[in-house]
Amino acid sequence: MDFGFIFITAITLACIYGTLAIGISITWSSLGLVNMAYGFTFSAAGFGAWYVGRLAQDLPLVADYPLLLGAIVIAAGIVTGALVGVMVCALAFIPIHDKPEFTVRGLIATLAISLIGTQVLLYMFGPRAKPLPTLFGDWKVSFGDIVITADKGGSIMASIVLLTLTLRWMTHSRRGLEIRAMMMNPHAASLVGIGVRRTGFYVMALTGGLAGLASVLLSQTYFVSPFAGLTPLIKGLSVALCGGLGSVQGAVIAAVILGFNEALTASFLGGQYVLITQFLLIIAIILVRPRGIAGILDRAREA
Amino acid sequence: MTVSQEQVARGEPILSVNGLSAGYGPMRVIHDLDLIIHPGERVGIVGLNGHGKSTLFLAIAGLTGWQRGSIKLSGHEVGGTRSQGPGRHTHKVVRRGLALMPQGDEIFHGLTVEEHLDSGAFTPKAWRERATRKEGVLQVFPPLRKLMQTPVGRLSGGERRMVSLGRGLMADASLFLVDEPSLGLAPKIGKSVMEALFAIELGSSAMVIAEQNVALLEGRVDRIIGMHVGKLKGEASASLAQHNRREA
Repeated sequence: MDFGFIFITAITLACIYGTLAIGISITWSSLGLVNMAYGFTFSAAGFGAWYVGRLAQDLPLVADYPLLLGAIVIAAGIVTGALVGVMVCALAFIPIHDKPEFTVRGLIATLAISLIGTQVLLYMFGPRAKPLPTLFGDWKVSFGDIVITADKGGSIMASIVLLTLTLRWMTHSRRGLEIRAMMMNPHAASLVGIGVRRTGFYVMALTGGLAGLASVLLSQTYFVSPFAGLTPLIKGLSVALCGGLGSVQGAVIAAVILGFNEALTASFLGGQYVLITQFLLIIAIILVRPRGIAGILDRAREA
Repeated sequence: MTVSQEQVARGEPILSVNGLSAGYGPMRVIHDLDLIIHPGERVGIVGLNGHGKSTLFLAIAGLTGWQRGSIKLSGHEVGGTRSQGPGRHTHKVVRRGLALMPQGDEIFHGLTVEEHLDSGAFTPKAWRERATRKEGVLQVFPPLRKLMQTPVGRLSGGERRMVSLGRGLMADASLFLVDEPSLGLAPKIGKSVMEALFAIELGSSAMVIAEQNVALLEGRVDRIIGMHVGKLKGEASASLAQHNRREA
């Protein structure tokens, strides 16, 4: 059994799921919205990246530098994701966020956007899966047994760098403070002059961008298709739950655990058992720690 | 210090509430209430639990279930009739110069004390001056200086109260509404918190303190207003209140 391969696969999956889970986690804790349209954001961003990539690959400069094309495709995915996030916010958060039963209504509204949006993608681009161009060139690094291929190494690097930047921005800027304040206490946030609606747009653009990033990175392994977002949505949600909704560190740890679980299960038992072992693991963790992994990490008392 | 007639004549009131009613769902807590607060004033509102002190403050911030009636903050109308959407316009009222220090502290439990104070200076103007403002708050509440990097969720009740009040003081506000600053604290700590509030230089801003315990306010504020079943009842300048008490 090739443990080097399992290890690298696990880390790659952990990076991608972590990115998704952090997006879901931030949306839930700051806006109180379970964003069921996250899967749609994911596939729409994939199509955005594919479309821009197809337009850009014939440009003179881009044809010479494959890495430039990669950067353009990643940027296109992130921007499309952010735009879709803003759209979801305008349709499913702004009109109903202060009405009764918002949590359920928000869930249903985002689910509706997801269903309609997926059909629109199907209508526009057809059911055939589309490949994205190779983003990170063609190279290989090996450390002893462990061989890092370009697609995996690039995915790991890109998600770690962009996530670190995002988290730094969240701890060091005024906007970041705004979002974190909303995550911890929306009522108090309005008392210091934070407008819920405006913050909603920032949050949804940020998390949409993260979904776009994850989408572009994951399509180095899978293809872009209208229904591509469903599995990542389920996995992102379960990682976010397992890590404890609202906790970024928890989501990262849960993503690593579930990434290893997926890589190990896929190579020892077979890919069809991945969801089974994953949910068994999540149930076990939630039984022991009902608040998820964050329950262990949290040093501060609530309320 | 009392407000002289010429002060009243010179500036328009910071807060002028007219015919305010407010409540939650079918329950009406505030009944047709009028209140005027002038620049430089420190006013105490005294009343029993459940008679509407907190609701009055929340209504000024637009946080009650519903409300109607005029609320003018520095001349700008921030009230009006509203039947839903509590908190939707609160940030605009805050930008107009309101700082509400709520009952029960409403802290951000995961932020450090320093970040917490920064969050109080969220409005753009205050944000640019946040370093000097923080220094000012630390002078009012010196114990916070050592705790700047501690998460607020780990502080004691008294320290949390200081953080919560300090966050309000960080704002670029013309009206400070302080809801029961001594509630739930040991008497000695509660008293020192009150002393800190009395020591703050108001300048052209004003401060309204809601309190159940008249003794804590007596002689330290310009006016004391009683509140009973959602209405303001009786008003006394602080010196008069103290005088009556001595007679009795």
